[in-house]
Amino acid sequence: MQITSQKIEEHLIQEQPFYLVQKNELIIAQAAYKNGIPLLLKGPTGSGKSRFMQFLAWKLQRPLITVSCHDDLSTSDLVGRYLIRGGETFWVDGPMTLAVRHGGICYLDEVVEARKDTTVVIHPLADDRRELAIEKRGELLTAPPEFMLAVSYNPGYQSVLKDMKQSTRQRFVALELGYPHADLETEIVAHESAVDNKLARLLVRIAAMTRGLKDAGLQEGASTRLLVHAGLLIKDGIEPREACRVTISQALTDDRELLNTLDEMVSSVL
Amino acid sequence: MKNSLAARLQKVIPVDWLNDWEKEEIFEQLAAYEPLVQQVVIEQLGILWPVNSSLCFDFLSHLPKGLACLSTEQLPAWVKGFLDVYEANGLRAAREYMADVEANFLCRIRGEKGLSLDEVIPRLLLYLRGLSGRRLELEKASSLSTDTNTVFLPRDISAGANKADNLYIYKLLSSFRWAEIERDIYCQQQTVPTVLEEFLRSFEDQPLAAACYHLLQTVHLAEFLRSYLPGLMRDGRALFRHLGQNAERAAAPDCQFTAVRQWLLCRCAEDPLPELSAETAAIIATAAADQSSHVDLLAATTDFYNIVHCQENLILPPPLLFQGELRPREARLTRLARRQEQKQQFIKALAAVLPTMAVAAPAEAEPPAKSAAPALTESGASLSPLRQAANKEAASEASLKEPRYICLDDEQLELPAELHLLARDIEDDLGAVPSFYIASASRMAGSRGQAPAGTLLPQEGPTLQGGLLYDEWDFRRRGFRKNWCRLIVKPVMATKGTFVSTTMAKYRGQILQLKRQFEMMRSQQRFIKRQQDGDDIDLDALTEAYADRRAGLVPSEKLFVRLQRDERDIAALFLVDMSSSTEGWVGTALKESLVLLSEALHSLGDRYAIYGFSGMRRSRSELFHIKDFTEPYGEEIKGRIAAISPMDYTRMGPPIRHCTRILKDIEARVKLLILLTDGKPEDYDDYKGEYAIEDSRHALLEAKAAGIHPFCISIDKEAQVYLGHLFGDINYTFIDDVKKLPLRVPEIYRTLTS
Repeated sequence: MQITSQKIEEHLIQEQPFYLVQKNELIIAQAAYKNGIPLLLKGPTGSGKSRFMQFLAWKLQRPLITVSCHDDLSTSDLVGRYLIRGGETFWVDGPMTLAVRHGGICYLDEVVEARKDTTVVIHPLADDRRELAIEKRGELLTAPPEFMLAVSYNPGYQSVLKDMKQSTRQRFVALELGYPHADLETEIVAHESAVDNKLARLLVRIAAMTRGLKDAGLQEGASTRLLVHAGLLIKDGIEPREACRVTISQALTDDRELLNTLDEMVSSVL
Repeated sequence: MKNSLAARLQKVIPVDWLNDWEKEEIFEQLAAYEPLVQQVVIEQLGILWPVNSSLCFDFLSHLPKGLACLSTEQLPAWVKGFLDVYEANGLRAAREYMADVEANFLCRIRGEKGLSLDEVIPRLLLYLRGLSGRRLELEKASSLSTDTNTVFLPRDISAGANKADNLYIYKLLSSFRWAEIERDIYCQQQTVPTVLEEFLRSFEDQPLAAACYHLLQTVHLAEFLRSYLPGLMRDGRALFRHLGQNAERAAAPDCQFTAVRQWLLCRCAEDPLPELSAETAAIIATAAADQSSHVDLLAATTDFYNIVHCQENLILPPPLLFQGELRPREARLTRLARRQEQKQQFIKALAAVLPTMAVAAPAEAEPPAKSAAPALTESGASLSPLRQAANKEAASEASLKEPRYICLDDEQLELPAELHLLARDIEDDLGAVPSFYIASASRMAGSRGQAPAGTLLPQEGPTLQGGLLYDEWDFRRRGFRKNWCRLIVKPVMATKGTFVSTTMAKYRGQILQLKRQFEMMRSQQRFIKRQQDGDDIDLDALTEAYADRRAGLVPSEKLFVRLQRDERDIAALFLVDMSSSTEGWVGTALKESLVLLSEALHSLGDRYAIYGFSGMRRSRSELFHIKDFTEPYGEEIKGRIAAISPMDYTRMGPPIRHCTRILKDIEARVKLLILLTDGKPEDYDDYKGEYAIEDSRHALLEAKAAGIHPFCISIDKEAQVYLGHLFGDINYTFIDDVKKLPLRVPEIYRTLTS
């Protein structure tokens, strides 16, 4: 019986990802890493949670294994399973086992979407035991100091069915990543979409206006990611207002009245 | 003649219902009209009588005025117009509508090109709020202005060639009003030493000074908007050019005032700029520069006034289309009112977060408002200063990110977000949060622990006996008052009326859509893997089992996939506020939302119950049974919903505790308690203020501890500050526009449970 795994080296981030530090998140994350405490990232969609993880992994020079959680994600999807080839079985490590074995960073994106039974493996790994039991193989892995568990979720969705349990939450160092402030966001948009600073500032201005509409029926305001999309389309020659319409207004809502308002905002600024 | 008239009238109005002099009056009035007019009027009376008889008399009394400017053919449209108003806003609004035929009716039908504010209010309001990040209001008015809280716009605009142009003009006017607030043309911020009104009063010709100041400010604002909202100003070039051409025709030669207006319009239209005298050019340069301060602009106003004042025969032209009116007095009054309101809110909210132990030492009289804020006040409490940033846009955002602290002697407390915002607004206004605000708050917080002689203390009384008794949380003693409230569950008698059918008709389209959305939630079909038996083989599981067997492990027997229709095991209880404050539109909207919700939930199949609550004093807290979990939705329930009416006060604690008890006995995976309320908890006795909020909060926390998810939907314009505290640990949402409630409630339910 031989063990084959994905190559861990593939998960090592070679080039420095572009990330501008908002406040003290990097220092805190590094301190958490040093002390073996897992990390919980909260924040609206498109505010840079995943990018921050990439940056952190690059900074720590550890491989980053990202799992996008969905409602059918089971324990064996995380830990691993036996497969058969030519009448022989062999074991394949799941992403979490892979990260534990090699001292990487395992990042569970949108963790509330995962099936509830995954807590069985998350809990012992997230407290001071730092253990991962591979039931099928009768193996108990203890995570090396280099290993880190990180999860993210968006507290904006107020669904009672998708709330994180206290017993899970209280194992993590929680970092809130909101939208960056105007200057920083301008720099990010300008860099990511390669538009000039002036245009980036206007896009950021539109986003700030949409974020002011949260009480008026908009679930969330335009994220930095949407601004980058708008910038990319504009750079490719799409008329600016049209680009914003398709990347920002239409992406945010289906409500006619809100769409009209968003379009008015766009046409005021651009 | 009279007889035939009477016979025709008899057909549409049961004349026996009228007394003699009423009949006489109607005959007299009708007899004076042409037969054709008579015919039309009688037809209209026939339409109006079944709706509302007093509307009929109002119609007759306004008829002479209406006929004076309307043709007979236009009468039916006019009647239809005020019927719409009556149905939307009641009799008084209909009377007002009738009274002003010119503004309300004629202007609108004169041409298709005009645009009324009513048509665009929702869009403009959201636009303004998005732009400002504040809860600005929008109102119809005869003139264009702002008092820095509300933007007043004309009721219709027909200057543009078509609707789109007129919409643009509305947007332009709103943006300029926002810029007036944003750039503080009324000199409200602490950095400006002068009171604008006093400054203007110092001139001999005050209207001229005001006009000069306003024109220079408009130049300043236009430059600001050109850089901040370039798209808006670019779209307006044609309009500005058109205005410029009109102004040129009317301009007096050598008048520097009109020259500046001309310059402004050319600048906005991006046309070649007219020549100006050297002095005026210098003044304009100051006004147009972005970094010019208020002091610079006031100085420039004085210079400009001196130039313009020397000119003979000066007739001030009316303000430009987008310029509106300068209203320093209104702005000042609004500012004072806002300051007072913010002060109260801030003190209250801060007191709620200050710990009781951090009591201020001496409770002396408040120091006068003028005293500037030293770092440490007599209470030992102060607010950490805000970081200064050069750019306002960046500053306001950055300052929100940065946590702020209240320093209490040697302890630091982080400010919650809503207080943070409030503190920022106060600082915008006064420069700093005055120390006595904090002192008052800590004194208020202090009185919590000590419970001094005060009106807040509820009277002690004997423990109640009999009925359903509930404890009440007393935050001062940090304990319950045992068996303090008696709750009476009352049945609601179904009424037979048109309320439900009217609501169903009103929201027909939306109900269909809601039903469709909710049905989609019901039929959540999915394949579940790894089942003992099922529709198909689960290949993953099979492979795994095979592999397990080869590896020498016991293989799993769960090898099938099964199509499962998910059972939504949810029980929701809606608790509706029936206090007297829900009288009128709020109550109607609440009832409408219950109808829509019931329709939607009926198609979804979730179990739900509806109860209303009200009451007076602790001995009579009433819970109205509208629908329990087992009753099916039908005519009876519809009748009960229609019968909901405003009662007494809002003692939230006991009903919440009772509903928690009901929900505890229900078997469901997810239990929801949804509270629909229009405001603060308050009862006739001492159940008010902080005591009431703390008890309601505690009752909600008890529900949460019992495994129930409480959720509050609040309709209130001024509720934000205490809501954060009341529902801090509980989810809540806040609806500022009652009209949106009926559709928002089912939507909230949907997001909550999917």
